[in-house]
Amino acid sequence: MDNGPIIKLENVTKVYHQGKINVTAIDGFSVAVDKGDFTALCGPSGSGKTTILNIVGALDVPTAGRVTLEGNDLADLSRTALSTMRRDRIGFVFQAYNLIPVLTAYENAEFVLALQGMPERERRARVMEMLKEVGLEGLENRRPEELSGGQQQRVAIARAMVTQPAVILADEPTANLDSATAASLLSIMEHLNISHGITFLFSTHDQRVMDRARRIITLRDGKLAGDERKG
Amino acid sequence: MMWRLAWRNLLRRRRRTLLTALSVATGLWVTLLFTGIANHNWDNMVNTSAKMGLGHVTIEPAGYLQSPSANKRFTADAKLLSITEALPNVTRAIPRIMAEGMIATATKSVGGSIIGIDPARETAEHNFFLRSLATGRLFHTADEPGVMVGIRLAEKLNLKLGKKLVYTAADVHGNIVSDLARVTGIFQTGVEAVDGGVILLPLEKLRHMLGYSDNEATLVAVFLNDQRRASEVRTAIIAQAFPGTETWTWSETQTEIAGMITIDHISHLFFQFFIGLLVAAGILDTILMSVLERKREFGVMLAVGSSPLFLFRLVLTESFFIGLLGLMLGVVVNSPFYIYLSRWGYNLGSLLPEGYDLSRVPLDPVMRVIYYPADVAGIAAAIFGLALLAGLYPAWKASRLPPVESIRSA
Repeated sequence: MDNGPIIKLENVTKVYHQGKINVTAIDGFSVAVDKGDFTALCGPSGSGKTTILNIVGALDVPTAGRVTLEGNDLADLSRTALSTMRRDRIGFVFQAYNLIPVLTAYENAEFVLALQGMPERERRARVMEMLKEVGLEGLENRRPEELSGGQQQRVAIARAMVTQPAVILADEPTANLDSATAASLLSIMEHLNISHGITFLFSTHDQRVMDRARRIITLRDGKLAGDERKG
Repeated sequence: MMWRLAWRNLLRRRRRTLLTALSVATGLWVTLLFTGIANHNWDNMVNTSAKMGLGHVTIEPAGYLQSPSANKRFTADAKLLSITEALPNVTRAIPRIMAEGMIATATKSVGGSIIGIDPARETAEHNFFLRSLATGRLFHTADEPGVMVGIRLAEKLNLKLGKKLVYTAADVHGNIVSDLARVTGIFQTGVEAVDGGVILLPLEKLRHMLGYSDNEATLVAVFLNDQRRASEVRTAIIAQAFPGTETWTWSETQTEIAGMITIDHISHLFFQFFIGLLVAAGILDTILMSVLERKREFGVMLAVGSSPLFLFRLVLTESFFIGLLGLMLGVVVNSPFYIYLSRWGYNLGSLLPEGYDLSRVPLDPVMRVIYYPADVAGIAAAIFGLALLAGLYPAWKASRLPPVESIRSA
C-alpha cells in the first residue's frame, strides 16, 4: 500500500448550538489517516463518530481546526468545489443505505457517474462490473424496495465505489444487517480496499467491523481516546 | 438522468401529480374558453358595426369625423375603389352617403339617419340591414325610387311594402330638399334605435337630391378579411394619398365600441392573471410538498456529489413536466368545447333581453369561440411560464438544503 496521510484532521472542534445550549460534539480532535487504510472509528453513541465522517466528507464544517483531504484544505474550497470533491473523490455508505427509491439498482450505481458526465457506454461497463463485484449480477433492474437490506447496502457500496474514489466513508454500514450479510459485505469492502487501494473509514459499534479493521481509532466525548494499529 | 429522475419523482404520487396537472389544464381551459368567447364577441361586434355603415376602415372627406356634414364629400370613383380593393386584407370597398334628415308620411314624421347605398355593390355579407331583411327586397337600382326602412319606423309611420314616404335633408348648399320613395323592404336588426330611425336609399337618388356630383360620396366603407388588420390597411390607404380624404380605423370611428373592448380586454387580462396565480399556487404547493418530503433524499444526493444546481434543475424539471402534462391535458379538455362552440355555438338568446345591443350594435346571442394562434400560444406560454415560475422557490429551497440535517431528517 502507498502510505501517507490522505485525511488529516488537526485540532478539530465541532460545537452545535441547540437553542441557548452549546453542545460540543468534537473537541480538539486530531488524526491522520493514511492512503489505503481500512480504519474503524469506534466509540459509544454520541461520541462524535458520525460528526467526524460528516466533516471529513465535506458535508459539515468544523467550528474550529483544519481538515485536509488529499492535501486540500476543505475550508478553502467553494460549495461547487466541495460538491465536485464529494462526487469524484469521496464515496459514502450510510447505515440506512439511502438509495434513491425511484431508481433501479443499476441506476443508483450509475447516478454519480452520470453526474460526472461520463458517456453512457462507459458508464454501463463500469456499473455492470461493479454490480458483479458486489454480487448483484441479475438484480440490476430491481428498485430498492425489491431488494433485501443486504442487497441495498451492496448497491450503496457499488454506488460509492463505482467512481473509484480516494476515500470511502461508511457510517455504521453493518448496523442494520444480519451477521452473515455483514460478514459478506465486510469481505467485499476488504477486497475492494486491497484490490483498488481505496481508503476506508468506518464509524461503527460493530465488533465484526472492528475485528476486520486494520486500525481502530476510539472516540470518547468527542476526544481521541485511543488509536490502535493492528499487525 | 435528470429527466428520468424528475419524471419518476412525479410518478411517485400519481394522484397528486394528476390533480396538479388537472389544475393547470383547468386554468388553461378556462382562460382559453373565456378568451375565445371574448374574441368572438369583440370580432362579432366590430364586424356588425362595420356592416352597419362605416366598414372596418373608413375613407372620408377631410374633417368629416370631427364635424360630419352633408356638404363634406369626395370623389369615390371606380379607380379609388379598385385601388383600395387591391390592397392586402381588403375584401370590399363600398361608397356610401350618410345624412341626417326627416322621414315623413302624410300623417306623421320622425327624425332619422339616411344611408345611401349602391345595390350593385352591396351584399348581405357587407351590409347588416340587408342581412336583417324582414320582408320585401332591396331596391334594384341605384336610382330606383325605393327605400328600405326599419321595422319600428314602419310601425311608427304605419308604413307597409309599396307605401310612400317623404325624406328631407339639407343639401350641399344647406338648402332643405326632399324626395319621395316607395318602401321596397323592411329590416329588423333587433336594435330599437336603428330599427326606429334608419332608412336606406339608392345611392344615385340621394346623390342627386343632395347635389353631389357623379361618384361623390360621404365615405367609402372598406371591409377586411380580419378586423385586426385595420391599422395596417389604414396605413396602406393613406399611402395611396387619395386627394381630400382622411382614413380611419373602426376603433377611431367607433370609439365607444373600441373603449368597451379595451376595458373588457383589460379585465380579461386581470382574470387571466388571477387564474394564472391559482394555477401557480397549486404547482407551488405540490412541488414544495414533494421537496419537503424528499429532504433526506436530497441530502443523500448532495452527499454523493450532486451540486446544489443539479437539485435546483431537478425540481424545476419536475415543474416543467407538470406544466407540460397540464398543457396536454388542457388541450384534451378544451378540444370538445372548442369544436362544439366554434362549429355550432350555444344559443343564449333566452337569457338575453330582446333587442340587446351595445352602442347601437346588436349582440350575437349565440356563444361561440374564436381562437387566434397568437392568443393560444401566448396563453399556453404564460401558463407554462407560471408553472416554471412556481417551481423556482421549491427548486431554490432544495438547492439550499444543508446536507447533514437533510440526511438526518425522517
